[in-house]
This record gives sequence, structure tokens and C-alpha cells, in this order.
Amino acid sequence: MSRLSKKSPSLCTDLPLDNADICKKLDLLRQLLRSCFGPTGRLKQVHNNIGGHVVTTSTSSVLLPAISSSQPFINLIKTSILNHVSRFSDCGLFAAILCLSLIEQAKQSGLRGNVAIRVNKHLLGLCTSYLLGEDCGCKVKLDFCSSQSLITLARSVISSKPACVLTEPETLHISRLAVQAFLLTVPCSSPGIVSLGKIVTVSVEGHGVLNSAVFPGVLLDMPDVFTVDQLENLPSDALRMVLFSASLAGDLSELGDGIIEVHPGVDTDSQILDQLLELGKQVVKDEVKLCVCQKVIHPVLQQYLRGHGIIVVERLGITLMEPLTQLTGAQPVATLHTTIPAKAYGRVRDLRIRTFGFKTMLHLHPPGECVICTMILCHRNETMLNELKGVCQKTEHVLRLTLREPSALLGGGCTETHLAAYLRHKSMNEIQETVSVLGCSQTECLLGVEGFCRSLEAVAAALEHDGGSSLMDLTHAHHWSHPADVLTEHMEDSLGSCGCGLVESSPNQKWTYLNSKYPQFSPAPLSEDASVQPHVLDSFTAKLNALQVAVETANLALDVRYLIQDVN
Amino acid sequence: MGITALQQTTEEASSLGYGGSVPVGLMVAEMPPVECLHLDHVVQTVCALESVVLRSFGPEGGQVLFTRDTGQAMLSRSGARILTALRLEHPLARMVVECVLKHSSVTGDGSKTFILLLASLLRMIHKMACKEPNVSHTYTSRQTAEASTARHLADKILAFALEELDNLIAMGVIPYGCCLSWEDFTAKKHLSGPSNNDCVQKLLKSFFHSRLGRSHCDFISKLTCELLTHWKFKRDQPSLSLEFVNDNLDALHTPVSGFPISCSRLIEGQVIHRDFATPCPQTEQKAVKAAVFSGYLQPKLLNAGQVLQLGCGEQWMEENSKNNRSIVQFSAWTERSLECVFANLQSLGVSVILSAVKQSAAVLSLAAQAEMCVVECVSEDELSLFAQLSGATPVSDCWMVEPEHVATLTFCRPILLGAHRYVHVAFNDSEERVTVKPCSLVICGLGEGQTDQYTCAFRDAIRMLLSTWEPMGMTATTASKRTLQSTKSTSSHVDQIPNVPPFQQCGLQPGYVIPAGGTFEFLLHHALLQNGTSCSASDDIVTSGLAVSQLLANALLIVPRQIYSHSPRHFLQAQARFQTIIQNHSHPFSLVYKQEHSSIFGESAFPLEEDKLTKHRFEADVSAKLFMSDSGLESVSCKYQLLLAVLQCLSSILHVDTVLHTHTALHTQSRRLANTSWEGTDDETED
Repeated sequence: MSRLSKKSPSLCTDLPLDNADICKKLDLLRQLLRSCFGPTGRLKQVHNNIGGHVVTTSTSSVLLPAISSSQPFINLIKTSILNHVSRFSDCGLFAAILCLSLIEQAKQSGLRGNVAIRVNKHLLGLCTSYLLGEDCGCKVKLDFCSSQSLITLARSVISSKPACVLTEPETLHISRLAVQAFLLTVPCSSPGIVSLGKIVTVSVEGHGVLNSAVFPGVLLDMPDVFTVDQLENLPSDALRMVLFSASLAGDLSELGDGIIEVHPGVDTDSQILDQLLELGKQVVKDEVKLCVCQKVIHPVLQQYLRGHGIIVVERLGITLMEPLTQLTGAQPVATLHTTIPAKAYGRVRDLRIRTFGFKTMLHLHPPGECVICTMILCHRNETMLNELKGVCQKTEHVLRLTLREPSALLGGGCTETHLAAYLRHKSMNEIQETVSVLGCSQTECLLGVEGFCRSLEAVAAALEHDGGSSLMDLTHAHHWSHPADVLTEHMEDSLGSCGCGLVESSPNQKWTYLNSKYPQFSPAPLSEDASVQPHVLDSFTAKLNALQVAVETANLALDVRYLIQDVN
Repeated sequence: MGITALQQTTEEASSLGYGGSVPVGLMVAEMPPVECLHLDHVVQTVCALESVVLRSFGPEGGQVLFTRDTGQAMLSRSGARILTALRLEHPLARMVVECVLKHSSVTGDGSKTFILLLASLLRMIHKMACKEPNVSHTYTSRQTAEASTARHLADKILAFALEELDNLIAMGVIPYGCCLSWEDFTAKKHLSGPSNNDCVQKLLKSFFHSRLGRSHCDFISKLTCELLTHWKFKRDQPSLSLEFVNDNLDALHTPVSGFPISCSRLIEGQVIHRDFATPCPQTEQKAVKAAVFSGYLQPKLLNAGQVLQLGCGEQWMEENSKNNRSIVQFSAWTERSLECVFANLQSLGVSVILSAVKQSAAVLSLAAQAEMCVVECVSEDELSLFAQLSGATPVSDCWMVEPEHVATLTFCRPILLGAHRYVHVAFNDSEERVTVKPCSLVICGLGEGQTDQYTCAFRDAIRMLLSTWEPMGMTATTASKRTLQSTKSTSSHVDQIPNVPPFQQCGLQPGYVIPAGGTFEFLLHHALLQNGTSCSASDDIVTSGLAVSQLLANALLIVPRQIYSHSPRHFLQAQARFQTIIQNHSHPFSLVYKQEHSSIFGESAFPLEEDKLTKHRFEADVSAKLFMSDSGLESVSCKYQLLLAVLQCLSSILHVDTVLHTHTALHTQSRRLANTSWEGTDDETED
């Protein structure tokens, strides 16, 4: 029963960013997300109040939907970040931490909202044009001739999710698999518009991670093992197969809404079954060796087909239909009364049975070059497996993004510190022009720049969780972390190399602690040394968008003057 | 009836479910609760609304964050949206909001200014009424006397405005503005000349500044201009293409969340917001033929109400029934007929099928075998736009597909926008639309809330442009009628509806614009004051005529005062500057000075450029082009309509003297709910 109820008036808050309660909540969110950031980030357990599944994670895409708040501010930021993550799969925590730091810094600086927004927008423009420019000091071109840089990129994504609980060799193995699977989905010889293939992921619980593997083609679940002996008799070249998208269970779905009256003595079921067997006869006559149906196949028909040496797979599900049509070249058949045209049949090169743990699967080899591959992911328990599955999908997405823009950014916080140093230098040099464009005073502008740069540095510093301190060198402006418990006379001895691994420490280098004053300088470009490869790389496209999303979200939040909460 | 008896009745009544909400002591038998509306209450209520709206008004204003009842967080600077989100209870406040919504749904603009002006006028009237309550002694209390004075004043202002305002604007404001004619707008586009296109863009820019904030107004106004340039019908009426975009905006835009707004763009052709149901074509950009189907391709064997009898070889024939030996033959028949349809389509060369409904698996399978692609469940709006742009008519009977049902497309391919894959089609140029280049708008935002906000702003911008080009007289009368109707239906008790004199067609041409930032208000203020002094010499209703002009003139100043609210100094400076400009030239309306004035206003009056205010210079260079600075522009006709709407709203709310709380079955259901409603309204008036 529908019931009309009275709408109660909304709850209003004037100037919400000056409200202590809201500020506290934002700060709490910032600390929560900050503690998850990076390879050494702390894990969070999410469980609901009715005793559901416990999820252990540190990824923003799992964590943020779990945070529910009545505070619209939190929801605003949450949806922005989640939308970014759903488009780019990476840099969600980066965007969230940057956004929250920007809001906090703008409040601390005491700037008028509009001025802070204008300065932020201006600086964002500087950042994007620098990152997109040719002479960007924190960007590396990806080399598709070797898989090394792709593996580094994949490894950075995978290792930044500690909830997968992978050892170093396991991380490397999964990174390699991810790159291998990605490369299998890129067609080799296709002129014109390239359409990428698909990775089908199959997860196997209770098996070691190192058993994970990638196969070209599709692996289908085989609940019964009767077919194993049939396989041995098959010739191993170009087997004909048929793919049905309609149900073969003997139901007629497209009859309409009318009423059917059946007179006694009429056996419609057997009439329909006869028709199905007619279809079966044609399939047998056309020498089909594999029959796959999206829905259910009538047991009698199954028996008939098996009796003629055909391997039957039913209940395939809609998700595997498209990969299978691409793999075999078959056209799904949904007409039961007309003869199946020859071109609707597909081809498979070879059929194999593969077992993983408790799973027995039928491996369909593609007849020629094919962009469909299957990734078997194994892990010890379900929670870790789920996280690993999510991470592999993200990695695939990040790798795909490199096709559009073949570059990557230095990871390990080096991009952030480098950008901050660049912005300080650039805006100092152009302070007069900036002030006249933005229409604010020089002090206001400098305050805004300082807040923005500090927010960037705060993101780099967020990578450190063990009480160590974050530093920046004064030549290349890369990020270094100094462990808390190591005390040495010379700083360079304990530092090793910078966050991304491109710069080694040397005695004549100078460092400064992050968030401390230092004389502004122009960060020097790195020497073109091919022998040194960065150890950590971030996705260029994802990070660029994350930067824009973070600044735009912060600007929106700073622009809010009034809050109206509908309490109905 | 004694009090005890009364209480008893109430209790009985409430136990039966009647009038449970009435506070016992106040109840007069069988009378709904009564609330007297005093002028103070009215002023307080409207001022409360004003204080909310002010937060997002003017160049220093910001956004209002609100949650929908679904919990979704939304941002807005649109006055109409903010006021709706408040979910007000007080009947008077709701009536005001209703008026605002009616106005903004017509013009798409001015809802914040509406509240500001209304509050300002009410305060002025309140002050005057308190100072000199009506001399007549027939009134029982001081408050009734005040209310009656206020009512008289409001009526007089409305009458005055309906009669004189258009002339005053024509004399005092128009000479300082410039006229955007649609012909110019379209003509200049061809030559890509700067001036008029710039004006439209500036008009849009100041609109978007008030709706989305400063940071994005440049970008969005450029995008809107571009869109309008593409959708320009050559031989048609000027506003037709605006109306076309307004009507089809839903089909013409695609919201994409997760990207910054700067990724918004125009794309060629139309985006159909569905994905291919069959494997999509792998072809390169090449011409394809498409047909639109509104129904099912596979014939339904049985429609509702039909009966199929399956017998044993005997032929049964009944009304509305089909008959044969085996059920299998029926489904075989439907499949064969489907094959015939596809054969026909193939002979016509069709390779894309757009369908309004979901087709059967057999259709998809046959389409895949015939190398056609199918797009299912396309919305009606999109199909009608597609039909309009492609020139092909949708197929209603799939047995009768003729060449006129087949549209030729330049391409048809998948397009990935955000999370969704859509179908992207482009059309061949046809003769009727030589100048039209069909294009769709991709609106990017951080979240769904933002894309919604941008889409609303777009829609309202188109409405604003439409009302800018509409002839003024016509819209004013329609607007007034609408407002009056709305107040009649929403207020619980309206004494009478003021007689609206038939509006005369005024001499104002459509399309006039004036620099933004309080210029209109300053100029009209001056014109009203001058009119007041001239009235006092000649008119017979000396004092009140003067008073009305003055009152309106002073009330108008609230707008520039709030625009410069962050520094009162700037307001005084601006006012002084306008004074000198108007006084320095003894013939302010002469055309000789027109350009000079305009350039001066353009240079200095716009408050967005604070830095420019300090270093403004009075350029005496007459040859300076109109509106060369980046100041924004405002539409004179929108302002005029706004003013009339405010005055009509004012007079109608002052005619209310009592609120009767009646209770329908809805409220009697729950005693508690109704009780809180009474308390709620009480609190609000006492605030």
C-alpha cells in the first residue's frame, strides 16, 4: 500500500566549512585514507552489523563505498573519487588525500574561498601543461620494445595493494602474468581501428599464487568428466562447433500472451522434443564436434549428441558468449526450426582438459590469432583472492591506458615532490602576471601556492607509515624516505635511492624535510642514462585525471557556502 | 459551549479521527485552526528566504550543497533548486517559492534576484506602513491598518509598473544597452566576426557565472555558443533553433561522470544511449543504411485474449484463434516470417536496426547471421530526433519496409563515454539543413550531481536566451497570468486577485542587453526618481505617485548593494560613477553618447573584475567598440519580466491576511504528524 507522508523541512547549515563537526569528520576521513596509502599502507577490515562477510582491504574502490556518512560533504568527495576510480582504476587514494589536504590547507591559510579556488585552478593549469609538455622532468616514455617497463608499471599497481598478501616473487609472477595477458589481448595484425580483446578471469581458491597462469583461448567449466575419454579420439585440427543462444530445453518462449488449450491426447512435449532432435540430427550430420549452449539443453538431446561423439557444454551464461563468438567465429543460433547455415558454425583448433585444484576445465584453443585469453588466479583464501582479482583487473585497465598515452610518471612520491618544487619555482618567477590574471594580492597568491604545494608534498609523505621522515633532495626534487630507527652520521648512507629508484644518494647532495621551508629552485632534469630504470612507475593518464579530479573536487567543496539536508 | 464540553468534543472527534491536530484551547467549534498573518510575519518569512539565497548570490557567492531524499549529494547555485530543496512548510513561504519557480521555469533565470527584490520591497513597504498607518479609524487594530496600507501600496506599485515600466526602461535603460538581433547573431557566425557572437557569449558567461561559479563560466559559455552555431536553421524563425535545442536537449546530451568539466565537448552526429545488442560492426568509417522499428520484428503467435486450441488432427476454428496440428509448426511459422523480413531488409541494404523494444533472441541471431547490428530499447525521444535528422520514417509494420524507411548514415559505430558504450551515428547533409551540423553535447563532471547541475544550467541558459529574444509585451502578460494562477491555487486564502489591466504592446524590441553588475538597477533607479519628480508636478495623485516611484527605485538598489557586498566602498564608488555619467550629459538619451557610455560601463561596472575597478579609466574615445572589455551582459527583457513577476507576487502575498489550516484525510491518519505541522508553522512565523 502506498502511503503519503508529510515531508519535513530540511536541515540547514550556514558556512559548513567553518563548522567544527564537519571539519573533524573531514580530518578523520583524511587520516583513514592516508593510513591505507602505498605498499606499506595499513589494511582495513570492513564488516557489517549483521554478521556478513569480513573484507580486508586497502583499496579505495572497496573502502570508500563501505564508508557511509550522513554528512553530504563526505558523500560529495566520496562520489567524485569513486567515479574517478571507476573510469581509471588507479590513483583513487592519491586523489582523495590530495583533495582533503587541499581543503585543509585552504582553510588554514585563511584565504577567501574564491581566491583559494582561483589559485588552485591556476596551479592545476600549470601542472597539467607541465605534465603534458615535452620537457617534463617526472615523465618517462614507455618502451613497447621490451616488456620491462610494462612489468614495472604493473608491479607498482600490484604492490600498492598490500591486502593481496603477496611475497616478492609472487608479486613479480602476477605482474608478468598481467602483462602477458594484456599483450595477448592486443591484436598483432589488424590495420585501422584496433579493438582489444578480453581477459576472462577464473579464480581458484586454496592453491598457491605461483600456480596462477595465463592461457590463450577460453576455459569452460566442465562439471562432468565423462567427456574426457571422448577427447582422446578427436582429431586435433579445426573442430567444428555450434553455439546456441536460445534455450534447448523444450520451452517455447516467444508464443505471446494468449492462452493455449491442449486437448487430451496431444503430447506437445514430445512434439517439441522431436523438433529438437531434428536439430540434433542436423548438427550430427554437419560433423560438429562441440555443442555449446548459453542456456539449458534437454537431457534427451544431450544424450543423443553425446552418443554421437559430440562434446556438450550447457549453461554457459551471457558473459562468456561474446568471447566465445570472437574466439571461434561462430554466430549464436536462436532459431530452432530452420536449418543452421554453414557460416554460423565456428571452429576450434584443439580441446584439452586442464585441472586446477578442484576445478576441471575444458580449454578451447583458438583456430588462429586470437585476442581472447584466460587468466587463472590462485590464492590461499577467498579474501585475498578477491582482492587479487580486483587488482588484476585494475592492472589490466592501467596497462590498456598506456596504449592511448605511452608514458608513465615516476612513482614513490617523486612526481609529487617534483611537481611541488616546479610550481614553487614557476609561480615565484611569474608572480606579477599571475597576480594580474587572478585578481588577487601577491600575498594571497603566495599563500595559495604554498597551500597547494604542501598538499602535494603531504601526499608524498603519506607513503611513509612506520614513523620515518620524508625528505626531498634539492637538485632533482625527488622523494626520499628516511627510516625512523636508523641513525647514521651521514644522511646519504641511510637513504639508498629515491622513491622511484632513479636517483642514488651521493655525498654532495642536499636534502630538506618535506613541509619545511626551503629556497625555491628549478628541479634539474635527470641525465639520460639508459642503464638506470625506475623501480616504481605510476599510470600517467590515471594520475593526470586524479590530479584534476582532486583539485576540482576541492574547489567545489571550498565553494560551498550553505548546506541543506533533506531529512525525509 | 463550555470549555469542558469543548474538550470533550475534541477528544471524541480525535478518537474518531477528526481534527486531531487542533490545540484544544484554541478550538472554535467546527472551525479549522486560524493563523493571522501580520505584515511582520510576511517580512520575516521572506527575509529568512533571502538569507539562504544570499549565500550564493553575486560574484562572491558560492555553491549550496544539498542532499536529496535519496541521500545523493548535489551542488547548486540555482535559486530555484535551492528553494525547492528547503522543503518549506510555511504556506506563505511556499507560495513565494511557487512564484519563483513559475518565473524561472519561463525565463530560466533570476530566481535569486527575485527573492532579493521581494524582500527589499517588503522591507520598504513595512517601513512606510509603520510610519504612517492609514488614517481611517475603521480598522480595529494597528496591525490591520498596517496591512491595509501595505496592500494599497503593493497594488499601486503593480499598477504603476504595468503601465509605466516599459516606457521607463525604454527611455532610461535601453539607450545604454545594445541590441543583439538574431539575424546578426547568425550572420556573424558565417564571417566568424567577433562582435555579436562575443555579445551572446558574454550574455551566457554572466549567466553561467551566476549558476556555476567563476571558474568554469568561460569554458561553458564558449561550448554553448558552439552548440548553437551548429544547430542553426537557415531559413527558419530565429528562436526556432533555440526551441529545437531546448526540446531535444535530453536526447542531445550525454552526461559522463568521473572526468573534470574541461573534458566536456561537442561530438558530431547523434549519440543513441544504448549499446549494440549484437556484436558491433568492425567496419571503418563508411556509409551504412539504417531502419527504425517501433515494434517487434518477430510476430507474436498469440496476442492477449486469443486462444490456441491444439487438437488431434481435427481442424478447430474459433474466433480470434489460430489452429494447426502441432505447436511446433506455429513457432516454425514465426521464424519463417522473420526470415522473410530479414531477406527484405537485406535487399534494401539495411545493416543497422534501431528498435524501440527488446527483440527476441531469434531476431538477434538472424541479424548476426545477416551481418546486421541491432540496437534495442531506444527511447522515444531519441528515435524521434533520429527520424527528424535522418529524414526516414519509422517502420510500424515490418512486412512493409519501403525505401523511405531507410536512412543513410555517414557512420554507425560504438562510442565509449564514461562507463557506458553507446551507439554513435552521423548523418548525411540534406538540403534542408545546409547550415545545420548535427552535434551532441558530452557533459563531463566529477559525479552525477555535477553533470546534473551543468545540464540544468545548460537548459536554463537556452531558456534565458529564448526569453531574451521574445518580444517583451507578450511574455509579460503570459507570465503575469501564470503567476496569478499559481498564487490562486496555492494560497489557502486569497482575498481578491488584483485586476490586471490589459497589457499594451510596448515599443521595446527584443534582444536588448546591458552590461551586468547592477547597471540595469542603477539606471532604472535613476529613471524612476526622475519620473517621480515629474509626476509630482503634473499628476493629481501627487504624493503617492512620487512615493511609489521612490519606493521602487530604492528597493532596486538592493541588487547592486548585494553584488558589491564584500566591500561597501565599491558600491558607493559605482553609484557615484553612474550618477556622474548620467548627470554629466544633459541629454543622456541622445545617441551621440551612447557608445561612450556603453564603453565606460563595459569597462568598469562589472564586479567580477575587481582589479579593473581600481584602475578604471574614463575613456573618451568614442570609437571604442561596444563592450570590448570582458564584462558580462544581461538581458533587459529578462530583467523586465523579473520585475513584473516580483511585483505580482508581492501584491498577491500581501492580499493574504489569514491562513486556514485544514485537514484532509491524509493528516487525520496520524495525529502526531498533524500536530507537528501546526507547531512547525507557528515556530517559523515567530522566528
